[in-house]
Amino acid sequence: MSSPAALLQSEPSRLASRGDLTSFFMQLAAEIGADSYMLVAIVHDQDRNDARIVSSNWIFDAIELIGKRLIAALAQGPLTAAPGNRPRPLVAAQAPDAASLLNGEEARLLDVLGHAEIYSLRLNVGRQRLFALFSAAEVDSIDLPALMRAQLKCCYALSGIPQLIAAAAMQDPLSDRERECLFWVSEGKTTDEVALILGVSSNTVNSYITHAIQKFAASNRAMAIATAIRSGII
Amino acid sequence: MKQADIKQAAEALFNEQRNPFGAFSLGSETHHAVTIPDAVRRCRWIAVDINAAAFGLFFVSPSLERARLVPSFDSDYPGTSVATKFIAGANGEEMVRHTRDSTAPRWWADDGIASSQQIYQDLAWSERTTPLAPGTNGIAFPVHADRGQCGLVVFMGSEIALAQETLYEIHARCFSLFAAVARIRPSEAGRTRSISKRELECLKLTANGNTSEEIAKLLKLSVHTANQYLTQSTQKLNAVNRNQAVAKALRLGLIE
Repeated sequence: MSSPAALLQSEPSRLASRGDLTSFFMQLAAEIGADSYMLVAIVHDQDRNDARIVSSNWIFDAIELIGKRLIAALAQGPLTAAPGNRPRPLVAAQAPDAASLLNGEEARLLDVLGHAEIYSLRLNVGRQRLFALFSAAEVDSIDLPALMRAQLKCCYALSGIPQLIAAAAMQDPLSDRERECLFWVSEGKTTDEVALILGVSSNTVNSYITHAIQKFAASNRAMAIATAIRSGII
Repeated sequence: MKQADIKQAAEALFNEQRNPFGAFSLGSETHHAVTIPDAVRRCRWIAVDINAAAFGLFFVSPSLERARLVPSFDSDYPGTSVATKFIAGANGEEMVRHTRDSTAPRWWADDGIASSQQIYQDLAWSERTTPLAPGTNGIAFPVHADRGQCGLVVFMGSEIALAQETLYEIHARCFSLFAAVARIRPSEAGRTRSISKRELECLKLTANGNTSEEIAKLLKLSVHTANQYLTQSTQKLNAVNRNQAVAKALRLGLIE
């Protein structure tokens, strides 16, 4: 199943490794007429979004030149389509466009690097959310119905490898107890109330919450709750 | 009633020869389901397209403690079908867990006819699950909306016809349908509209880990005023403290 040829012959029902993921996306990009793909997880860091690239066939220099900040903006931009919505392309030549995601310089760069048209798709893998960027060097080379099918196919394929996705996105590092405590705090319960609900001592509850705060590198409870909700953990 | 008859009846009922919500013709911008009856009609069209006799849409409750499927509507709307009662009961627990972690469709064939499994067995990416309602055949599609809401769209019937290509399309339409339904549901939206821009700013900074003192400095307010904004927004959100206010504001999509 790991060779692209095997993937060509039949629909795989499961991805097993990172190698499978790469060949799955290469195959999918070819199917829809795209030259490049990028699978991105968005991580909230203070007030801005950072892109964490899970898999991609963009050349390394292109990523360096364009920058993670812009990639995050592209992935989570106003043109990003949820499953079932008609995707709309970002055409570099039309920048600065209505969505004003790009300035002239960035647009020129993308065009030169072979990303004349870029589609951004939201992928839902259970409660986890990732983004796929499919791009082509020539405008209008990506087939829209095939792209919409590909979007669901990506969701299915990634659903089969939750550990890989969670590790890549560095999400849900909390233990069940820590998550439970955080959930009750987000419902407005005090430490003592949570202790009563879970049948443990207040000190234990505080220690769970402190651990959660540390794992998220948050500065207090409110921020830990916000981080947990944003990443769909609670 | 034969499936063909149902299809004919449905077409007659809607006085349309063509499914207005079919295939990939829909853009979510143009087809917002504004009411539950609209959504039921859209769902009925999906059911007609795969020859399903019954359908239902469920919300997966956000709290981990309640592993239940909460019915929104089903094919007996405005009533509730027997199957829905089964699914909303203990039968749904396994599906709730699945929906939280995966987007892959799950199917079951429990009508005792060997051939009914054949339809599903050739479908890639989908797996068999324990029957959601006993004695039925069906397929369940996990769906997720913009603000992190989870749901499940279920189709049942012994004559469901689904090809691999159609599977993606049907699931995409379920996503779009659920996004529309999820937009209707937040009942608290009206009440929270009165939260001022300043109050939201303070809440957002709190969510980013700032203390009242830091917020006061950032927004050039006195600490007392910053606290007052936070207290007011907490009250308006019907929350008992700041932590819950932040959680509620995030879940309602008032802050990002």
